Amino acid sequence: MEKLNSTLGAVRSLRSSVRQCFEQLADGTNAELAEDSRTKFLLKFQENFNNMNAQLREVESLINGLQAPQTPYCLGQTTYLAQETAPERQALYSQLVNSYKWIDKVHDHSFLAFNNLNQNNLRRSYVYCSQKRVRIPFTSCNNFDPDHTDKLLSEINLPLTSYQVCRPFGSNVVVIVTISRVLKAAIVCKGVLIEWVTVKGFDETLDPDDLWAESRYEVFRKVQEHTHIAMLHFFSPTLPDLAIKSYMTWLHSYSKLFLEACKRCGKFVSNGLPPTWRDLRTLEPFHEECRNC
Amino acid sequence: MGVTVLLPYQIPEGKTGAQAIDYLTKRLLALGAIHTGQFLVDCETYISTPQHGPAKTVHVLHDSEYPASTFSILDNGAGKQIPLVADNLFDLLMLKMTSVYTSKKQTKIESKGARFEYGDFLIKLGSVTMMENFKGILIEIEYRPCVVLSYCWEMIRETLQGFLGMPIAKEYPAYFSQQIMNTMGQQQIHTKQNEVYEPIDTINQYLESFTNYRKQNVLPVAGGATGGASSAQNAAANMQGGNQRMR
Repeated sequence: MEKLNSTLGAVRSLRSSVRQCFEQLADGTNAELAEDSRTKFLLKFQENFNNMNAQLREVESLINGLQAPQTPYCLGQTTYLAQETAPERQALYSQLVNSYKWIDKVHDHSFLAFNNLNQNNLRRSYVYCSQKRVRIPFTSCNNFDPDHTDKLLSEINLPLTSYQVCRPFGSNVVVIVTISRVLKAAIVCKGVLIEWVTVKGFDETLDPDDLWAESRYEVFRKVQEHTHIAMLHFFSPTLPDLAIKSYMTWLHSYSKLFLEACKRCGKFVSNGLPPTWRDLRTLEPFHEECRNC
Repeated sequence: MGVTVLLPYQIPEGKTGAQAIDYLTKRLLALGAIHTGQFLVDCETYISTPQHGPAKTVHVLHDSEYPASTFSILDNGAGKQIPLVADNLFDLLMLKMTSVYTSKKQTKIESKGARFEYGDFLIKLGSVTMMENFKGILIEIEYRPCVVLSYCWEMIRETLQGFLGMPIAKEYPAYFSQQIMNTMGQQQIHTKQNEVYEPIDTINQYLESFTNYRKQNVLPVAGGATGGASSAQNAAANMQGGNQRMR
């Protein structure tokens, strides 16, 4: 990186001396002036020219010293910006780089400030600040690299359930979960945050291209509503891995959707529906009406 | 498409078939079910002509729930049944085959009546008629979101008890507890209640019930014995008539 910087500096100085030389040439000499001023002009030009040559050689040698990076730079999600076709959005990349630099600087400064303030024993708040806590907010949970998501999902392994991972929208994951022979669910994630869940019956088709169509059965439409409630409940930006694991465990409790009676009223059917709600902690089944009373 | 259970309904003493259907309809509507049109399941039986070896039977069934299909079950006389699901054109094919298979017109049997929806349940109250003669009531209940009976039998049982007002046995219906033969001819441990349900299972249940009703028809004539749905119904009609006269 340092070499690259010095090369760029050398190119910059070469450009400035070339400019100087041409400026001098453009100014020219005064025709009425004496012979010695002409030789002076010539000498000046030669000096400039030699300067230029020396700098050019320096640039060349520096360039030869440069190595191509072994691995391509990982640009993360920004690589998709190159696929942007709308002209007004093509300038986004430079803005992105600027804001990135800015955040980097903020981070540096805040780190320094934190160190300075930490030396001061006079504390004004009781909030405990440690070195470790600085790093946690820096992991943003909606921008994980795909390998991490794959690894996380492969770790989830519940009985009678199959997981099928596909990526129809770039690097973001859609997980198709088939629970026993009861239901299918498509979980749309952004990074490792759950954004949307679609629930359908075992005999219905769940097409990754059409994730917004609702199930034709009332019971699965109701279950879908409940999965959205749970999605908000389990949302946890600081511990995204744990959040997705607990969500999957909760969702798996639907493997006995038709098999379990409501814990409160002891009945299977109420208003033509089985107990569609599962308690978020105990995973016990309840009818929607029985859940709050 | 979900699990369907077919249940012959024992008409209570002193009621006609129409009264029983009325009573059940009222109870269903009171429960919150919505009336959604009519349905019809019919069955016609063809028997092979004697010059073509041992007698084989073909049952051809139609179900208004699957309007584009014709179901047929070939019984080879040795206890083996071969199901076939085809397009409606199959009916025309049967007409062409009159030299091999002849229709037994007098055994044409059908179940028709009202269709109700209650949540995801589909309930059909069918009155069975053979040659315009009333034979009994068949109740069909389908829980559409579920494809395995053992998962949702308790739900179906509870709903049935809810509108029939009588207890239903905890055991799975007879059709589902029979053992399935696999291709090697061995009995499998899995019974039908754990299998994924197919439309042909509904048809098989109808055929089983229809066959029972046909046998009932033969019995009183052969043995002269009273009993069976038709005679009970006649008795009920007489009683009713008597009541009216008394008033």
